[in-house]
Amino acid sequence: MTFQQAAEAHLDDVYGYLAWFTSDPFAAEDLTAVTFERALRLWHRFDPDRGSARTWLCQVARTVALDHFRSERRRTRREELAAPPEAVDFHFAEGLSPDLESALARLTAGEREVVALRILLDLDAGAAARVLGISPTNCTTRLNRALKKLEEALHVAA
Amino acid sequence: MSQRDLVAELRAAHVEAPSEVRERVRLIAAAAPAPRRRITWRRTLVVVVPVAAAIAATIVFTRPAEHPQVARELHTPAAIDRARAQTHGAAAKAFALPSATGRVQDYDATLSVRVEHAKDVSDGVKRALRIAALLGGYSASVHAETSGSRAVADLKLKIPRRHVQEAMARLSQLGTITDENVSTVDKTASLNATDRQIARLQKQLKTLRADPQSPENTRRILALEQQIVRLQRSEATTRLSAHYATVDLHLETPVVAVTPKHGHGPLHGLGVAFRWIGIGAVYALALGGPVVLLLLLLWLGVRVVRRRRENALLEI
Repeated sequence: MTFQQAAEAHLDDVYGYLAWFTSDPFAAEDLTAVTFERALRLWHRFDPDRGSARTWLCQVARTVALDHFRSERRRTRREELAAPPEAVDFHFAEGLSPDLESALARLTAGEREVVALRILLDLDAGAAARVLGISPTNCTTRLNRALKKLEEALHVAA
Repeated sequence: MSQRDLVAELRAAHVEAPSEVRERVRLIAAAAPAPRRRITWRRTLVVVVPVAAAIAATIVFTRPAEHPQVARELHTPAAIDRARAQTHGAAAKAFALPSATGRVQDYDATLSVRVEHAKDVSDGVKRALRIAALLGGYSASVHAETSGSRAVADLKLKIPRRHVQEAMARLSQLGTITDENVSTVDKTASLNATDRQIARLQKQLKTLRADPQSPENTRRILALEQQIVRLQRSEATTRLSAHYATVDLHLETPVVAVTPKHGHGPLHGLGVAFRWIGIGAVYALALGGPVVLLLLLLWLGVRVVRRRRENALLEI
């Protein structure tokens, strides 16, 4: 598989993952581009025997997103003193109910991330765990916790 | 909404990247260089390991200077004997110089023969005596000695000179010749001189006998007679000794030389390499173990801290 083929095939997955992870569409767009730039530089390290291109691209995307979160936190700390941050109105995906959208927005980034990987991208526990750098059991636990939180939030909204 | 419905709704969701992002990524991907032939470490190992093994095997098995088996073989007593046998086998007959007919000669030969076992020395002595007897000779002296696996025998054989060549040839077949020496001394001229002296003395004796008898004359006749007898005996002794050739036969088993153990097998180099690798491994384990453990603990600590920071970061 060439880099072009991988980029073509998994662009939506990477964007979706980053969009749900950051819950910021503008950041997700930039981060997607940065992810593919970095992936292009690191493409020689990709080994198909160790995992799929999608898993590998998600790993790169996660590193990029974490860098983004760190810089955002530093920036937010500085700017919070001057003005409170504005809430971004974000639609996670087409076809989701408003209650579910709002419940997803109340999840932490770590919870949204595992939901995106396991449900949106439909990665198995092993692949998702590899992206997150944790064990498959831990990954499943995180997912269950996130789904339970979503369920509770929907129940409250109902 | 049940968790099952929740998951179903989430799965039904579809996220598509905006066209601007798609275009940017397309541009990035277009900058990707053409795929190169991937030389992974596994592929490299598949080629390098057999090649290295083949080179090592070639070096180990074809070192000519240190081909220990050949070197050892060349220096064993058996090999030396074989080499000597090849050299002396044909020379045994050549060394037994033919006796000149009509000449009186002293013939002495020394023959050292090596046999494999102590029992062969005993058999060799018997055969040598039999050979001497069959050729009309006899043994002047026999000395045999056995000590463990080592045996030595020395024989002095008297062989009629006309059979000495045959005797030498047959004795050389007792084992492997390790040493031989033949010497002849011509006595014909000396005997001729003695003959002439005897003839001269007999002529003087005849003259004296023809002279009138006197005490002085009688004393001189007696002295001449005694001198003639002495010369005749000496001549007879010389002829008798020249009739028999003296063959000194030395039989012995090989001396087991304790060779220092510096012979190396074909895989000696490999053994040395493994020994040093083992020594290195022990040192690496002893010195590197604690360091590795420390690094491992450090790595685990860093990992835990990073994980905690990451979790804190994602608690947004």
